[in-house]
Amino acid sequence: MSGYDFETLKVLVVDDSRPMRSLIKSFLYGFGIKNVTESNDANEGFSVFKESEPDLVITDWRMPPTDGIELVKNIRLDPESPNPYLPIIMLTGFTELNRVKQARDAGVTAFLAKPVSATALYKRLCTVTDDQRAFVRVGKFFGPDRRAKRRVEAYSGRNRRRDI
Amino acid sequence: MNDRPKHPIKSETRKFITPPRLMANKVKKTGGPSAEQAIMRALNAASDLMNSYQGWAVDDLTRLWRTFQAAPRGTHSPEDIAQMFEIAHGIRGEGGSFGFPLISMIGDSLCKLMEGKTRLTLPELEIVKVHILAMRAVFNQHLKGPQPKLEGELRQLLTLLRDRADRRH
Repeated sequence: MSGYDFETLKVLVVDDSRPMRSLIKSFLYGFGIKNVTESNDANEGFSVFKESEPDLVITDWRMPPTDGIELVKNIRLDPESPNPYLPIIMLTGFTELNRVKQARDAGVTAFLAKPVSATALYKRLCTVTDDQRAFVRVGKFFGPDRRAKRRVEAYSGRNRRRDI
Repeated sequence: MNDRPKHPIKSETRKFITPPRLMANKVKKTGGPSAEQAIMRALNAASDLMNSYQGWAVDDLTRLWRTFQAAPRGTHSPEDIAQMFEIAHGIRGEGGSFGFPLISMIGDSLCKLMEGKTRLTLPELEIVKVHILAMRAVFNQHLKGPQPKLEGELRQLLTLLRDRADRRH
């Protein structure tokens, strides 16, 4: 036994596709996470989040009438949010760069593209566990620091983005 | 040459906060199964679902076909197109997740064809039909798992069809 022990985690899965929710739940179960709640839309997802106070949310993006981005903003910015620092994985079929940036700017912790595999989900869970980034409040944004290496800010000269 | 950024960042407007709770505090980095074991267990836990997927997917495909056929040619409303996009978007996310990467590839191509459109021309509708028939063929032939050669050829064909439709606009 040499790997991460996820057994004590509580996870909320929000997706309007029942097969996807079931698949993610099965994968998490296989990783040892037995405490999984689920919701099929963003509004209900926020209510479930407030009640169950999970350690991690995995949410889809497109879930008419509202979407996962709204859920992320509610978790980060709503005064009723019990944990604005919650790690959030956005799991979506939208994979274009502008979408990834939009998700990041809403405050997601990590992005995971559909179709998803057990391997990809496991790796993302490990990444999120190891994520020690500070949170940033600037303007209307509140979320994990969007810059990969903050040391870059200390230097404003030429080639300041080199080695990022 | 001025080395300073054109829009200097006003660091005084930013506030950095260390999260009071970290997931790392709740997850031990040792004591759990190895990555290989955890992934194998996950695949075992999902095996029944994986086997049931085709039934659900065929239902989605039937809904897509019905929406496609519900309107006379060229008269699909923006709502019809939005509904077809929703179904195709779901299919592209689910297909590969449940072991049918070809379905995700075809669904993705179909989404690219319809995304942001409020009307579809007759040639575009013909291409929608090709996508639906291709997905139906994948299920009928039980083309599960990676099909790299077929995937490459099919992707090329569907891209060509979409490009031609774009040029006709």
